[in-house]
Amino acid sequence: MTTATAAPERTAAAGIARRAARRRGRGGRIGAVAAVVVIGCFGLLPVYWLVVTAFSPTGDVFAFPPRLVPAHLTLAHFDSLLHTPKLVRYLVNSVVVSLVTAVLSVVVSAYCAYSFSKFRYRGRRSLMYLVLASQMFPQALLLITIYLVFSATGLLNSYGALVLSFTTFTLPLCIWMLKGFFDTIPDELIEAARVDGAAHRVVIHRIMMPIATPGLIAAGLFAFIRGWNDFIFALTLAGPDRQTLPPGLVNTYVGEFQTAWPDLMAASLVSSLPVVVAFIVLQRHLVAGLASGAVKG
Amino acid sequence: MTAPDASRGVRPRSLPDGVVGILLTVPALVLLAAVVCYPLIAGLVSSLFKQSLVLPGRSFVGLSNFGDELSGDFLPALGHTMVFTVATTALSFVLGFGLALALNVGIRGRAVLRGLFLFPWVLPSVVVSFLWLWIFNANYGVLNGLLMRLHLIGEPVAWLGQPGTAMLAVIVAKTWNSFPWMMVMLLAGLQTVPRDLHEVAALDGAGALRRFRSVTLPHLRPMIGMVLLLEMIWNFQHFDTIYVMTGGGPAGATTTFAVSVYDTAFKGFDLGGAGAIGALWMLILSVFVVGYVWLSERRSA
Repeated sequence: MTTATAAPERTAAAGIARRAARRRGRGGRIGAVAAVVVIGCFGLLPVYWLVVTAFSPTGDVFAFPPRLVPAHLTLAHFDSLLHTPKLVRYLVNSVVVSLVTAVLSVVVSAYCAYSFSKFRYRGRRSLMYLVLASQMFPQALLLITIYLVFSATGLLNSYGALVLSFTTFTLPLCIWMLKGFFDTIPDELIEAARVDGAAHRVVIHRIMMPIATPGLIAAGLFAFIRGWNDFIFALTLAGPDRQTLPPGLVNTYVGEFQTAWPDLMAASLVSSLPVVVAFIVLQRHLVAGLASGAVKG
Repeated sequence: MTAPDASRGVRPRSLPDGVVGILLTVPALVLLAAVVCYPLIAGLVSSLFKQSLVLPGRSFVGLSNFGDELSGDFLPALGHTMVFTVATTALSFVLGFGLALALNVGIRGRAVLRGLFLFPWVLPSVVVSFLWLWIFNANYGVLNGLLMRLHLIGEPVAWLGQPGTAMLAVIVAKTWNSFPWMMVMLLAGLQTVPRDLHEVAALDGAGALRRFRSVTLPHLRPMIGMVLLLEMIWNFQHFDTIYVMTGGGPAGATTTFAVSVYDTAFKGFDLGGAGAIGALWMLILSVFVVGYVWLSERRSA
């Protein structure tokens, strides 16, 4: 990790230097390099520390002042993680809930986005902005009634409670993202199929969805990430058996008399891995997705 | 849509296009109505009642919950929320914009760098909180270690144990988490600034600073307004980092609206009080949200 992060930084800094020198002269070049280095340290040194702590033996972690460059490395914390049944259960819960959320969310939002993009009817714009605004309502407030309703209907402490709430809160983003995607598909395609007598059902399933597959995958990944990262809903609605990793880790480690920091950092790395991979896959869609619907975990 | 009309061909039993369009939105709208709209309204209505989370029944008490909260938890929570929101938004804007400008100079490997710097934003919010809890840890934390090595402090500081530094700690953690998003958005904006405008300005003898003020900034203004507003909205209702790092403490010093509503409902079981704080919170938040919708409407128009 450390070598992998250091190398591109250096080459890129050299890149800045070359081009900037050509276009702006020395002042701009030095300023740009300094900004990248300073902000880069703030951004990346904590990540370095996360990794170092996760791989350091417990004795080295609880030494003060801390060693900035590790003397020994170990996989012991990952090993103990895998041998803690409770944590493995949280991990399984996270995987199940996030996957189901991703699938459901894509199906529901694809139809809605297609409608927003390709149909014209009264109230469409208002609906679109209502959907957009719905992700900005304070979740802590919504949670109270959701908790009461789920408790009355017996949904509390079930996968269903998590899937239902995660799916709903990913809809605004997925709908806006996919609407942007459908907007780029020319209307003539639909027109031609309709003139040939194809039903809406056929147009949607045989023509539009196959074309939109990359967009559907991107939306699904965002929904997965949203479900995977959620804290407040999982904390409140899931109960001890259905808890996902984020609240599970908080309940396991935080507030202990002496937190097992290296174990917690190892668990944090494991929890981060799927979203990091998902984001690497998403790189290409990222900026468009960010701009279209306001992504936030 | 495409307005295929009846004269083009006969399609028996097919619904009008408008109806099909609306039907397609139904699943999404039902979910949003059930999980967002109804809870929102019910939550606001509960502010008028005295009700417990765990006991059945409730009684109408008019506006007395509002009276209680306005003279109690509301003002401190408003203060903490504003400090957290403004400081976090401003700091992540400065860092994000600075980095975007530096990366925009024209670098080989910019895509790699951009991806690398996104790391803090990608991590789950609880991981961000754990990491900064560990960095700020009083006994073994790396921050105290560094500061002592540099002789900036004589003995370890209990960052999360004192009101002022605890707020600073959550602001730093959330800023770290937010600034990469600002960077990506602003960098995307910077890349749309027309290059020939810059070249013309340069030929006219405008220096770098002058070009930034007269070409870049005006072009970027709508984008800047958008990211600032969105970031404000998110920070204004942020819960995770604060709840995990400080739980709203010490002595309530980092209790924002989100933490206050959560604790009032789920630890104090007082749904009326939570509803009242929530309603006031919502009122302030809606100003931002209306601004955001207005801005995006104007941009797309």
